[in-house]
Amino acid sequence: MMAHTFRELVVGGVLVAPFVTYAVAGFAIIIVLRPLLNAVGFARMFSHAAIAQLSLYVAVLCLLMLLF
Amino acid sequence: MVATTAQQPFILARIPASSWSFAVRVWLATILALFVSFWLQLEAPATAAVTVGVLAEPTRGQALDKAGFRLMATIAGVTAAITITGLFSQLRDLMLAACAVWLGVCVFAARLLDGYRAYAAVLAGYTVAIIATQQIDNPQHVFQAGMERGAAIAVGIMSMALANAFLFAPERHSWLAAQLAALHRRVRAYASATFQREEDNSAVFLPLVREIVGLRPEIGSAALESSSGSIRSAAARNVAVGLLAQLQAARVIKPVPARSVDRQDYAPDVAAETSAWKTRELRRLDDDVRQELLALRSIKWPSRLRRAPLYLSYRNAAESGLRAALWFALAATFFVWTGWSAASASLSFLASIAALGAITPNPRGFTVVALFGAPISVALAGLLEFILLDGTDAFPVLALALAPFTIGSALLATSHNPMWSALGRINLFAIPTMLAPSNPETYNPQTFLFTSLFFVASIAILLVAQTLIPPISDEKQRMRLLAAARRELQEADNKMGADEATFREASRIGQFLSAGGAQDGRALADMLACLDQSAMIRLCNAKLIQVTDSALAPLAHQASAALATRNTATLRIIARVLREKAPHKASIEAETAACLVATSNAFDQDGLDSAQEAR
Repeated sequence: MMAHTFRELVVGGVLVAPFVTYAVAGFAIIIVLRPLLNAVGFARMFSHAAIAQLSLYVAVLCLLMLLF
Repeated sequence: MVATTAQQPFILARIPASSWSFAVRVWLATILALFVSFWLQLEAPATAAVTVGVLAEPTRGQALDKAGFRLMATIAGVTAAITITGLFSQLRDLMLAACAVWLGVCVFAARLLDGYRAYAAVLAGYTVAIIATQQIDNPQHVFQAGMERGAAIAVGIMSMALANAFLFAPERHSWLAAQLAALHRRVRAYASATFQREEDNSAVFLPLVREIVGLRPEIGSAALESSSGSIRSAAARNVAVGLLAQLQAARVIKPVPARSVDRQDYAPDVAAETSAWKTRELRRLDDDVRQELLALRSIKWPSRLRRAPLYLSYRNAAESGLRAALWFALAATFFVWTGWSAASASLSFLASIAALGAITPNPRGFTVVALFGAPISVALAGLLEFILLDGTDAFPVLALALAPFTIGSALLATSHNPMWSALGRINLFAIPTMLAPSNPETYNPQTFLFTSLFFVASIAILLVAQTLIPPISDEKQRMRLLAAARRELQEADNKMGADEATFREASRIGQFLSAGGAQDGRALADMLACLDQSAMIRLCNAKLIQVTDSALAPLAHQASAALATRNTATLRIIARVLREKAPHKASIEAETAACLVATSNAFDQDGLDSAQEAR
């Protein structure tokens, strides 16, 4: 089995937890994706767009953790 | 989508279901925040619960917006705290002075902003007091304390966001669209009423101005809500700016008063032409707002983006900031003199009450409410800690025991009565602060007693400081706003679009009303006269710019100069020339002429009114 190692981000001697890095990166990706989501009418596809967007964020976050 | 608002709301115990669901959401988010904080073994779980209390806003967009500002302000505040501690770590007096200056700067910034931005500015101010002042005896802990606070706030924000998403909190944008449509109906009703009768109705006009300007901070809240949020927010801002332009035009483009019709130079055909132009102008503005509302509903980027600038009163803001810094400095001097052991905690309470009060219209009134509210919060927190919980260490019991307090406070916060609502809001974050849940909970009556005593004492000391150095008086603020309005009327600048400038001036009227302007009838009339005149001048200038015919350009210049000096005779002559040169009745020259005539009538009318008043 492949063991996943998480690298800590070091800012000026302060260690930032890997999860925080992933969470912020995921948020940035969602923000960048927003115009695209709007163009395809993402909000109109679901009865509860808020939950759909939250799920999308969780999916992006998990993908980031899996891939990097 | 909006149809649901028309249904009869479900009411339980005389409280609408929406308030119940809001209160339950807040309670669940508080439990989640506490649970996650305990699980992550954070040092300050109470801050997470307090964050939920602070973010208890009725819609998802508002909560997210406030959360973003709270997070950014905390980062700014922690950075400032670390800097101040680094610079003055062994120098108590200098450090307190630096905290006072920072608080003053933040209050200054807050007075130039509105809504959650203003809240963020004062939060950045008192975060320094919470972190740097509380850790004044062990500066090596400042960084740690800042990180703990930031982590707890992040947990609180995530809990509130999750609770709002899964429990279907209402969306801000659907409310916003309905609110703007309703305002549009009211503006139209006002316009037709004013157009039919010549007297102006300030009792209808002023609340409309206040409501439209008051929507400004909430329009930004729609941006974070969904992927189309930024479009909705931009479209809603356009609607608000357009609505104010329409409202203002309806006020100034009144029918000609009967008294001035018998003037020599006022031929009947000119009157008919001016009246036709007024109708066209009002219809154009109404169509404009209708288009913007359509863009808001169909979620399309508006063709042009309008800004909604606020009037910035630097002198009022600077004075408020200076006074806030002085209150803190005075209280700090007192605490240093007494040498009490818990003075640092007291000072941080004091800073937060002073800062939060500074963004309300009446800072001392806020302190008085806090002084009455604090003992109630203390009593409730004591009841919760020592009678209901009384030594228990099970999380489910804590969650259940919190229910009546959190739900009750949240229900109070939704009340229409401002007093009850303020009390509910205070309890939402004061009860978790006093209870200070930790894992394991200590149940130390002595600590509780001291914290409560210093909490109430700090508010009392702030009240004393605010009595010695009173907050900036309403009258002074009003005089400054009026002076600024008069000054700007003299030196017209065309850097801003006409509608944007109208919005900015309307926001000044809003500030004037917040400073008790409704009671000061004479100054209010002056403010409105300035607003009307500058709106007319802007309208004419906008028309004059469009007169591009090179032969008429010198005439347009002359007209601008005559506008600046209120030379109505020249304006009428220029209007006559323009009318003669106009190729047809709907041409820009004819429109400009009609606008100039209407403006000179308005100027003459103002002169007549003030002459009558002087007599």
